[in-house]
Amino acid sequence: MDTIKNHPVAELLVSYSAASLPLSQALCISTHLENCDECAQKLRRLNQVGSELMYQLKPSPPSSALKAQLLDRLDSITGNGYTERHSPGNPSVPSCLHQFIKTGYEDISWKRISRDIQSYELCRDQNNAKVELLRIRPGGTSSTHTHMGDEYTVILEGSFSDEDGLYHKGDFLMRDASHQHTPVATRDKYCICLAVTEAPIQLTGFFGRLLNPLIRRSYA
Amino acid sequence: MTRPMRQNNSSTELTAKLRDCIDRVANQRDKAAFSTLFDHYAPMIRAYSLVREPGADLVADELAQEVMIRVWLKAGTYNSQLANTNTWIFTLARNCRIDYLRRNGRFVSEIDPTEIFNDMEDESPSPFEMTHQSRLEENIRSGLEKLPREQAEILTKVYLEGKSHQQTSAELKLPLGTVKSRVRLAVKKLKVLVER
Repeated sequence: MDTIKNHPVAELLVSYSAASLPLSQALCISTHLENCDECAQKLRRLNQVGSELMYQLKPSPPSSALKAQLLDRLDSITGNGYTERHSPGNPSVPSCLHQFIKTGYEDISWKRISRDIQSYELCRDQNNAKVELLRIRPGGTSSTHTHMGDEYTVILEGSFSDEDGLYHKGDFLMRDASHQHTPVATRDKYCICLAVTEAPIQLTGFFGRLLNPLIRRSYA
Repeated sequence: MTRPMRQNNSSTELTAKLRDCIDRVANQRDKAAFSTLFDHYAPMIRAYSLVREPGADLVADELAQEVMIRVWLKAGTYNSQLANTNTWIFTLARNCRIDYLRRNGRFVSEIDPTEIFNDMEDESPSPFEMTHQSRLEENIRSGLEKLPREQAEILTKVYLEGKSHQQTSAELKLPLGTVKSRVRLAVKKLKVLVER
């Protein structure tokens, strides 16, 4: 594998270690981690920071009944739903994506969005982010675009380049709304990416939540 | 954020004892060992839950139980070369909490977090990690004690209260960029991401 040169920034890894970021972003980081031992190691250290913080809290002992209850239950607890992670999928697909991609990239019902690009929407996340796979044909390009919100990309297969550089499998890229770029896939093969695009705005508060479905409709 | 400095010796002894308990749970299904682990960790798991949801005592109990069930079931997968016992419990608690929040509809997402945050069972440590584990722990512990208050505050929001950068920025009335740079600075001070 090529050496990975583009990694999530420190504060994103921290949020991942804390599990305090939207799951769509966590999915991108997790995909990167499966390819990047360096970040996986950093993450283990950040987990250690989280654990130190946790042990600095004032302990809050449970009632003695809680332990007795649990000890009584222990023998009847089976591993079902605990020890197995589901769906052993295609090993060429990152395992955190197996929940969406059961077989391989070939069997996906890709949707054509331009001459060069196909997409497949995996899901929407709580922050109204769109989570999708993009497939650019060899040498293909997407027209120059800016994003409405932040965009996170992890390369799953192949390579692409833009004004800022050349990216390979495992590379993690974050582009903010102000960033303008023109990605071009390299000529040797298809480039497949996981892409998370955040919605242009996210309103909170009571009235904001009422308005969000309207915004969502225009964003789709 | 203050905690009496533990004596190094007793801390090492405690660590060894807890590791031994996990071992006995894994290999002998030893309930007495499990009970020791419960006494040590349940109060901390509850504290972790309560800091996110103050007053939610039942939720805290449920999280403590859930994490300890996983300890019972997964003790055999614990790898002391990858994480000290505290860190293993922290990752279990973190994963249980996010799973719990999702199952109870506290946030709506079609993404299954259990497929994202694993319990560190299929990883392998680098030789560097294996030899420097205890020094790292010491660095982090002493680093946290020296952290400027405003950086420690943000780490608490993110790690313990489970707040995103946006939420932290809104609650502390700070620009998003400031939140991010404080996290960055804190991590830099703790020297956790420094390459050897």
